[in-house]
Amino acid sequence: MTTRIMQTTARVTVPIVLVLSIWLFLQGHNLPGGGFIGGVLTTTAFVLIYVAYDLEYLESEVLDREVDPGASVYDHRTVTAYRRALILGLAVVLGSGVAGIVVGDPFLTQTYVHLGGIPIYHDIELASALVFDLGVYLVVVGSVLTVVSVVSAE
Amino acid sequence: MAPDLTVVTAIVTLPFVAAVLSPLLHRALGERTGYAGALVAAASFGLLLTQADSYGTVRASWIPALDVGIQFTVDGWGLLFALLASGIGVLVFVYSARYMRGEEGLARYYAALLAFMGSILGVALASDLVLIFLFWELTSVCSFLLIGHHTDDAESRYSARMAMLVTVGGGLCLLAGLLALSVAARGALGGVTFDLTAMLANEEAMRAALRESGLFVPALVLVVVAAAAKSAQVPLHFWLPNAMVAPTPVSAFLHSATMVKVGVYFVGRLRPLLMSPEWVLLVATLGLLTMTVGALLAVISTDIKELLAYSTASHLGLMVAGFGFDVVYGGEAGAFHLLNHALFKAPLFLVAGIVAHEAGSRDLDDLGGLWRDLPVTAVVAGIAALSMAGIPPFNGFYSKELLFEAAYEVAHEAGGLAWLYPAVATVASVFTVVYSLKFLAMFVGERRAPKAEIHRPPVALVAPPAVLAAAAAVVSVSPQLAVDVIVQGAIDATAVGEADLKIGLPTHLTPPVAMSAVAILGGAAAYPFEGRLGAVIERGVDAPVPVRPRGWYDWAVSTAEATSARFGPLVHTGVLRTYLTWVAATGSLLALAGFATTGAALGIDGLGVPTAVAVVLVTALLAALAVPAAPSHLVGVLTLSILGFMISIFFILASAPDLALTQLVVETLVLLIFLLVLQRLPSFYSDVRRFVLARDAGVSVLVGAMAFASVLLTAPAPGADPTDLATYYTEQAVPGGGGANIVNVILVDFRAFDTLGELMVVATAAIAILVLVMMRARGESVADRDADPVFEGDDSS
Repeated sequence: MTTRIMQTTARVTVPIVLVLSIWLFLQGHNLPGGGFIGGVLTTTAFVLIYVAYDLEYLESEVLDREVDPGASVYDHRTVTAYRRALILGLAVVLGSGVAGIVVGDPFLTQTYVHLGGIPIYHDIELASALVFDLGVYLVVVGSVLTVVSVVSAE
Repeated sequence: MAPDLTVVTAIVTLPFVAAVLSPLLHRALGERTGYAGALVAAASFGLLLTQADSYGTVRASWIPALDVGIQFTVDGWGLLFALLASGIGVLVFVYSARYMRGEEGLARYYAALLAFMGSILGVALASDLVLIFLFWELTSVCSFLLIGHHTDDAESRYSARMAMLVTVGGGLCLLAGLLALSVAARGALGGVTFDLTAMLANEEAMRAALRESGLFVPALVLVVVAAAAKSAQVPLHFWLPNAMVAPTPVSAFLHSATMVKVGVYFVGRLRPLLMSPEWVLLVATLGLLTMTVGALLAVISTDIKELLAYSTASHLGLMVAGFGFDVVYGGEAGAFHLLNHALFKAPLFLVAGIVAHEAGSRDLDDLGGLWRDLPVTAVVAGIAALSMAGIPPFNGFYSKELLFEAAYEVAHEAGGLAWLYPAVATVASVFTVVYSLKFLAMFVGERRAPKAEIHRPPVALVAPPAVLAAAAAVVSVSPQLAVDVIVQGAIDATAVGEADLKIGLPTHLTPPVAMSAVAILGGAAAYPFEGRLGAVIERGVDAPVPVRPRGWYDWAVSTAEATSARFGPLVHTGVLRTYLTWVAATGSLLALAGFATTGAALGIDGLGVPTAVAVVLVTALLAALAVPAAPSHLVGVLTLSILGFMISIFFILASAPDLALTQLVVETLVLLIFLLVLQRLPSFYSDVRRFVLARDAGVSVLVGAMAFASVLLTAPAPGADPTDLATYYTEQAVPGGGGANIVNVILVDFRAFDTLGELMVVATAAIAILVLVMMRARGESVADRDADPVFEGDDSS
């Protein structure tokens, strides 16, 4: 699959897909979207890179790091990063739940505020559920990418 | 005055607490743990006595939604049984401390025995059906442990398993019967409840509700089967003699005084609730049949414990028969004999233990003239055995006389075939006398060659049976005293209507007295011909299989073993797709069968589908057909993706943008992952066997049919009002969650806990895959078997 056509397409589409995924994630509370959809779409962007190039490309070309060719996939720094994203996501989810307990509400209680008078946006709604959703996003990205990279390395 | 919940709970939980602590106790006390057990039993006994004059019910909520409670009722019947269990418990623990000296696994033994006593007390005092069931099954589990005490003995294991299968199987019948009762209570008492006290208080309404729902006979039969299994009634009596491989104190405690009486106890408990012509026919017949069969088998036994075991079955039959008769005497016979039987059978077992311990043999043919060596034991055995035979004025006589009166009265009223009742009762009593004399014979007459030097038994072994025999003697001398103190309360609780028991030796000849005379004289006359009698019975027992329930048991168990051994490898292959096939096929079949039994009609003609949706779905269908026909992986993946994208378009058309988006994104991701993996897969499709093809096609059609039917039957009709839940979410999404996207608000606000759970699943799956791959990279394998079962060659692609 690592054809020139594929690689050129990926170069153009991956940034768009990433922006789109973040936009979907942010608008989730009021329009179609949310943590899960955003997470899967971000994963798609990464997998697109894997399909067009290979596992090492992200590391060596995009992030400009040294790749140790002999190291196994588990010591791979991106895979470690994915694992950390997964754990961080779980922590965020649990933390947003525990935050409810701290202020005296039951576990996982969410709330929201409206902020008025902000330039350009005028009125913004801030929902604590967004934090929870961020956790969902991170878990999805972390776990799916861990699986994909580890299995495809086999 | 109502009983105290704390005290009653303490009575039941104390033995369990002690059971948990018994390993520690055993470490601290060693052989003397038995005395600690006796103390615990005595504490329960004493606490029971403090509650003796406070009948009533106490309750603490347990599962409020189903109205299940920790509910205990103290009444005469429960009190009698609980006092027997804890009182005899004291003596058995004292006896055990001496008898079990030097045995192994004592900590386990005492733990099981204590837990067993606790469960019996629980059954006696609990009055919530769920709680009763719980304790009922606990007694079975504990007795399994006790019967199988000698774990390295095959016979011990066999018998323990047999007792477990029979009594726990009966317990399952009990569960079904209790559920039937609680279903009826919904109509009769106006709500879901498992409160037995309330049911007994409204027996008329309960019976009417049971009849109305057609559950009366099923409930009756199920409960009686459960009681019969527990109380060793014919044809489930065979486990009781086998259970005699247990240590003798266990036999005395479980198999004469307590556990086997649980069935009888429960029959007495439900007697006022289920009394009807069907009850009389079933329970009285069952009881008398058991009484006769048990007595016949006892006559041909040569092992003293086996003789006592069959005799126990026979006497349990007597009690069940008593409770079966719908006359006042019947209930009196059952309740009074429960006390009497415990008082004479427990010491007889303990005597058997002494004889086996001191004379080294349990074979009646080896034993004779033991009174010279064991004089105190002989006196105890004399009182108990004469009581067992029902010789006046010993206590067994009074309760047996009550049974005769009940049987006679029922026959007198009903006439015809009902005359069989008194006739059978008399015949069974003749054999009772025969085997009682046979038991006594080992103490009198010539001294036979003993296998070992006969020692004097220590006090700790003789005292417990002596105490029990003394109690039996007191009841014998003054039966009215026992009735006034304890039995009358039990009779009141089990009687249908008013019952006031006056008991004493008969003063003039009545038909029941004549029956007793026939039984005793007949028994005495038949005893000299005991050998010839035994030969006749033997011939009956050796008849072809149908009259041997133990043969049926063995056949059922071995068949089940063979079948599962053959069936197991078929289902449990270790190959994931086999499991998938079985689960999908049976799940779909069960669901379809469920739909079929409800007779729900599929509303196919109401399917109005817009043209756009129809086009999309037909395209999806064509793509689905193309998937298995694909010539290569690439085509297969692409056609599968067409199917997925069509479904996401269908979601858009059905105004579910969130679902559509998810489907779209996931579909894309899956397609990409396939593309990533495809380069490494072999590019050929192997030949597929016809059978596998047909099986897979069948399973997929089945799953499809199930999904189709489920959607049609469970989805609300088009144009129907939104459900309450849907309305709630629509109205609450913006004010409650602050979001206009209801799906997302449900995910993160209303049902965030579910989402959290799903995240855990996703994370666990990722970690599991990581670990599996890592293990393979390190050269480990999950199982030792190194053959890779995936490549069996049947449909590997």
